Amino acid sequence: MAKDPRETRIEDLPGPKSQGELEEMKMPYEEYCRKAFGPGNEWAKPDALKGIRWLSCTGYIFTPHSVANLAELGADVIKIEIPRMGDAMRHTSPFNEAYLYPLHDTRPMTGTGLGFTNANNNERFLSMDYHIPEMVDIFYQLVKMSDGLTENYRPGTLDRWKMSYRYLQEMNPRFIYVWGGGFGYGPKVFGGSYDILGQAHAGLASITGMHEYMGGHATKHSNWCIDWMSGTMISYGILASILWRKKTGLGTMIEFSQVQTPTRISGYTFPLYNNFGVVRQRWGNWDTQLCAHGIILCGKSDFPDAQNPQDKYEARYVMVSAFNDLDFKELCDITGLKDLYGKYKAHKDRVEARPQVEIYAALEKWAVDKTRSQVVKILTDAGILAAPVMNDREVYECQHYRERGTLRWLDDPLYGDFLVQSGHSCGMMTKTPRRVNWIWRPVGADNVSIYRDLLGVPLSQIEAWYNKAYI
Amino acid sequence: MADVIWCKKVVGGKPCNTVNYLDPYCFWNWEGKTNCAECGTVYYIYMIQGHMYRGPEEKPGEKPDMSPLYADHPLEGYTYYLPGVKGRTRPFECLPRHIYLGRADMVKFSIRGRPVRGWRPQPPSGGLAGQFPYKWDIKKLSPEVWAEYQEKKKKGEVKEW
Repeated sequence: MAKDPRETRIEDLPGPKSQGELEEMKMPYEEYCRKAFGPGNEWAKPDALKGIRWLSCTGYIFTPHSVANLAELGADVIKIEIPRMGDAMRHTSPFNEAYLYPLHDTRPMTGTGLGFTNANNNERFLSMDYHIPEMVDIFYQLVKMSDGLTENYRPGTLDRWKMSYRYLQEMNPRFIYVWGGGFGYGPKVFGGSYDILGQAHAGLASITGMHEYMGGHATKHSNWCIDWMSGTMISYGILASILWRKKTGLGTMIEFSQVQTPTRISGYTFPLYNNFGVVRQRWGNWDTQLCAHGIILCGKSDFPDAQNPQDKYEARYVMVSAFNDLDFKELCDITGLKDLYGKYKAHKDRVEARPQVEIYAALEKWAVDKTRSQVVKILTDAGILAAPVMNDREVYECQHYRERGTLRWLDDPLYGDFLVQSGHSCGMMTKTPRRVNWIWRPVGADNVSIYRDLLGVPLSQIEAWYNKAYI
Repeated sequence: MADVIWCKKVVGGKPCNTVNYLDPYCFWNWEGKTNCAECGTVYYIYMIQGHMYRGPEEKPGEKPDMSPLYADHPLEGYTYYLPGVKGRTRPFECLPRHIYLGRADMVKFSIRGRPVRGWRPQPPSGGLAGQFPYKWDIKKLSPEVWAEYQEKKKKGEVKEW
């Protein structure tokens, strides 16, 4: 310690004294990551988008997801729904089986279906019929005190109601306005859209699934992947617009056509035709650029005695990747298919269509008397990348996802025990992690806290509007 | 839908007018005989990629290979033959799970044994204009489920994962 206690000497300070010491004191990377990201400790850290308020006049999955992304990052998102009805997506549930209750005081026997899950996390729920002249001014008041709005009406609908960007930017020049929908302006301006239409119309379904001569058909993904993907792409646009506004002080309008999204993720499909005249074909569980790099079917299930058909019959698929020459040689050695290696030593030979058919058929023939686990073990023991195709039950039971907090149980403040995965699947952040505070709330569950506390509307007025079903 | 057979067979002095729906999962690439769900007339069809390549041709006296999945009478205010009407339509055999209800499944506890609001009716919001609190006071609002939960805890049925 220095004689004068006011003097600061480097050797008196805690921590490393040299570069060498610093290196020595660093914890192992694994440990550092666990501490820095700390799944479950998100709530001790700040929200990146705190202070941003967003209005959501959205429905279904695509546009709601674009703002749920903001809400998970800390924005105050106000979802405006049809009084007593709510978002149409609340009324969907897989095979009509899974609902959480209640939906609204006026409909005690109706719940919100799990179709609504993940697209509306952390939002506040306001009910308002903003067609009604009395409510238009309230809508404008919200616009004046918000940073942006996302809507998914037919193009020009809110313009007709004087609620589009052209009108709102005059009230709030910093306003960021998002229209998300099917086609956007252009020849198909009036076409509505669903995820399936996005997948079909932009050519994605035509290149998904096995080739027809292998028994396949043009296939849509079971989940609404284009809805989720499109919503996320809007969120990027919003974050860029917020940055732009910080620089210029001006808002932006984002016009997002859902049918464009599949073109963004279809890789080389379009240049393949336009430069080489080839219409891309489906190639299903195999790969057009790499071989072997696909999913094969084994003969035996890992769970032959299970009741659930997803376990009993479907726990038979394995992904295998051995496309570089050494890996492919090892694959051929371990499976006893040495002739194949002799025929297709070079990748450019085996990536052709006909060799692929031969190679995968031979692999499946080799796997016909084996279970999925046996195949994975044989291949991974030989140093080849292979993994079982897991169903969601197996993902839930997988320790990897549990430790990283990808899947976790949320004690939802209103609905109780609920497994969530969405927010925590989107990349970890050391300083401002995403989080899910609640999955959703009933229709109009924040009416008083928004109409009275934010807008200063007296309770008597709120009650009168409620009785007239304006809200 | 791959295609339909609109049966015009005159039965009892009037046309049958039944639309038999040929679902793509079974009929997309198919050759064989199928029946009208109403009058039972047997038709030969040959479908390629969902298109009626040949037929429908009546095959009186022969037995059908497969029935349509579903049929209706659009000119008579839509009366239906749902899937699985014996001798008329084929049962729907794509049940996705061993548990299949097709109606709202009332649950009170998640798979790890903790309460979840999956049953109805639930008590009203208790707030003005549908305003909900941020806390589900299960002990107060659903005391019977709370009691059941305590029992489950005692029995060790409440798990962490």
